[in-house]
Amino acid sequence: MPVQNFENLDNNTDVTTTRTLLHEVIPLTGTILSGAYADGNIKNYTHGMFQSVYDYPYLSSSANHIFDITMGYDETSPLSSSSSTQNAKKVNLYNQFSQVLLGYTGSTTDGVRKFENDLTLDGIGAMKECFFLSFSRLLVKDQIKKGSFSITVGTGDLWSEPSSGAPWDSLSTLIDISSSATAGTTNTIGGDYGLLYVSGGANVVQGLVFYQAGIVVLSASIWDGVSQFYHTLGSSSFTAQQTIVSASISGSADAIRHRVKDLSFNNTTEINSKIYFCRVPHNKYNYSSNPTYTSGSKIRVKEVASDTPRAYITTVGLYNSQNELLATAKVSEPLMKDPSNELILRVRLDY
Amino acid sequence: MSYKKFTENDIFLNTMKAYPKVNFFVYAGNVYYNNIPTQIGNRNTTVRNAPEGYISLYEYNIDRPDVPLGSTGDADGTRIPRFSLIAEAGSVKTEHLKTGPIDRGRIAPWISKDSARSSFKTVGAFVVGKSAYNSEFQYGDTLQGSYPLSASITRELVTDFRATTPGYPTTSGERHYVALRNRLDFYAVRSLHYKVDSPYGNKDRQTINLISIPSIFYGTKIKPGSVSLKWMITGSVIGELRDTRENGELVQVSGSTGIYSPDVGKVAGVVLYDEGIVLLTGSWDMNGKQISIGPGGTYARPKWIYFGVGAHDGHTYDPTFASASFSMDFKGHTETQVVSMFAHAKRGETNYSNNPTFLTYGQDHMEYTSSHSYEQRSDLLIKNTVSSSYSDYSASFHRQVYVSRVAIYDKLKNLVGVATLSNPVLKKEDQDLSFKIKLDI
Repeated sequence: MPVQNFENLDNNTDVTTTRTLLHEVIPLTGTILSGAYADGNIKNYTHGMFQSVYDYPYLSSSANHIFDITMGYDETSPLSSSSSTQNAKKVNLYNQFSQVLLGYTGSTTDGVRKFENDLTLDGIGAMKECFFLSFSRLLVKDQIKKGSFSITVGTGDLWSEPSSGAPWDSLSTLIDISSSATAGTTNTIGGDYGLLYVSGGANVVQGLVFYQAGIVVLSASIWDGVSQFYHTLGSSSFTAQQTIVSASISGSADAIRHRVKDLSFNNTTEINSKIYFCRVPHNKYNYSSNPTYTSGSKIRVKEVASDTPRAYITTVGLYNSQNELLATAKVSEPLMKDPSNELILRVRLDY
Repeated sequence: MSYKKFTENDIFLNTMKAYPKVNFFVYAGNVYYNNIPTQIGNRNTTVRNAPEGYISLYEYNIDRPDVPLGSTGDADGTRIPRFSLIAEAGSVKTEHLKTGPIDRGRIAPWISKDSARSSFKTVGAFVVGKSAYNSEFQYGDTLQGSYPLSASITRELVTDFRATTPGYPTTSGERHYVALRNRLDFYAVRSLHYKVDSPYGNKDRQTINLISIPSIFYGTKIKPGSVSLKWMITGSVIGELRDTRENGELVQVSGSTGIYSPDVGKVAGVVLYDEGIVLLTGSWDMNGKQISIGPGGTYARPKWIYFGVGAHDGHTYDPTFASASFSMDFKGHTETQVVSMFAHAKRGETNYSNNPTFLTYGQDHMEYTSSHSYEQRSDLLIKNTVSSSYSDYSASFHRQVYVSRVAIYDKLKNLVGVATLSNPVLKKEDQDLSFKIKLDI
């Protein structure tokens, strides 16, 4: 075994921690959502409460789940009525999202908060009819990077396959422009959320993005005035309002998918590291007890007997207070050490 | 809901060892991994963006094409977001382009250069003088990588190698061999066939066939005794090597009949189990056929040093070596730490549910309420869920619950995990139940 000398690490001067943020660019083009796979990558469920979007036909083992689409409205919305299709499910979905993400007001009458087009949560500017996109953890990782989310949706009047371009005749881009790591968000029980502004619009907020939860809330009012928001085969067209009332949740999800032209964000993974500065003093670690260090009682790496001793450092061992080896760090190439030099080896441990 | 504490005998840690089977098949310059065929995508040439024989790390970017101008192909910039943005200062709005990582329609990792000195492996070293990282990037700059990261086996043929020649090693195969010399001598205690200079020959002077297997395919190490290499001509096995002695020696266990059969029992090379390297030196003819498998496409007879020709070694396709195919089988070795937790539902406990349907429907739950107190009724009826043996007849009442999930809390009573049963389990009042919960870590 090589010589083992222990150097004590001083927690104040030799150990520090860092946090590195690794991001990934996540672009999602509209072709993945509608068109490329003829909806073979869209999964609907018998419960009919949401629709899942995959990046490849979901029967393939290569497919990854990207996000779920659903919609709902508050019970105080004018569109809420017992005659609406899946009324209870739509109300429950809205309330469940708002309870989990925003929490409660404390009022005894309608205690569940509503999504609002500002950061104040004061009950003003409620968005009562919303579409929800819940992104997969695979894509969101620890959180969506603040200020990086954008979604471009078609606000064109006509319904047809997106490849014809009709829903994309006019476009609206929503961006969380005001959000940054230090400002422009509000912290609620569902984590931080930011506002989705319409690009080029006069300070218009049409959605919210919950960064840690990875959930995007889009207000249905983006599509106000669109005459063919949804169209079923062999029947008439629906406006956005009519769709919310009369179509099933999966039908509304189909309509949204046809309207998304582009979607992108950056995710964030936090990598925590501990850095140990291992100091190698000039008068130590100049000898090795490695069996090959000597040859015929002479140090192999020395040419002249009168030269100073010399060693090559290949490994740093990290020990606990009981002198038990916990980890080793290797250098990419051996470092020459003799009494004339001192080294500081920066050992980083990621976790 | 009541909490129950795990006692010292309820939680234990153990290690699960698994030996995943791996097969590589090399034919006509292509490598196939576990017989997975090429999957052609709708939008991209291959679905996984990695050729056959390669593993794609994370399996990101499924069927995504690489587009030079952003995912929508917009010409107004290659940055995310690709459009004009509004910056707000009071009521004044200005439009500007925000910079960020380059979008090529694919998921890609990026990192900002900061004092932690983190970077991607491809960005360059920290060594002064050759440091792309130090000189190319400012603090705050974006360092961008790309996906998929992929891996496959590589074959390298080290020929005419002389360790004593000045200026060696020159090729990457020679460098890899030199890096392994110490390990080969280290393993000489297992078998002399490992040793660089042994009675069986001097590896510094032999032609060496070096096959490198990335650890993503096998985990911790290759399982000794599981390696099998088959040399095939027109589909018939002309020779097979196995590590039957489990000491790393690759022994020929079968061969063609006639003049080539005495080769059975010879050692054609060694496996470095921990490093994932197969090193072959066997240079005897196994078949009389001349095919273009030699260095630079020259004609040669099948030998073990030509095993795996075409496995990412730069050997281009030639119709004559299309008659040769190679199969490499082995088992990996992975260790997964598993926490097992026993959650006990003892008799007389865990026999009530807060689920609203646990009580008979239509009862008034409140006895009395005022501004100071709230009293629940004491005579609430529990819904009888006991199944009767007869139709249209209610069985007599027993206390029972259906357990559908077990929640695990930390010492601060934060919910840290939920174990859900495939089917709810009936628990009667006089029954003891234990749930074994396993978690891979």
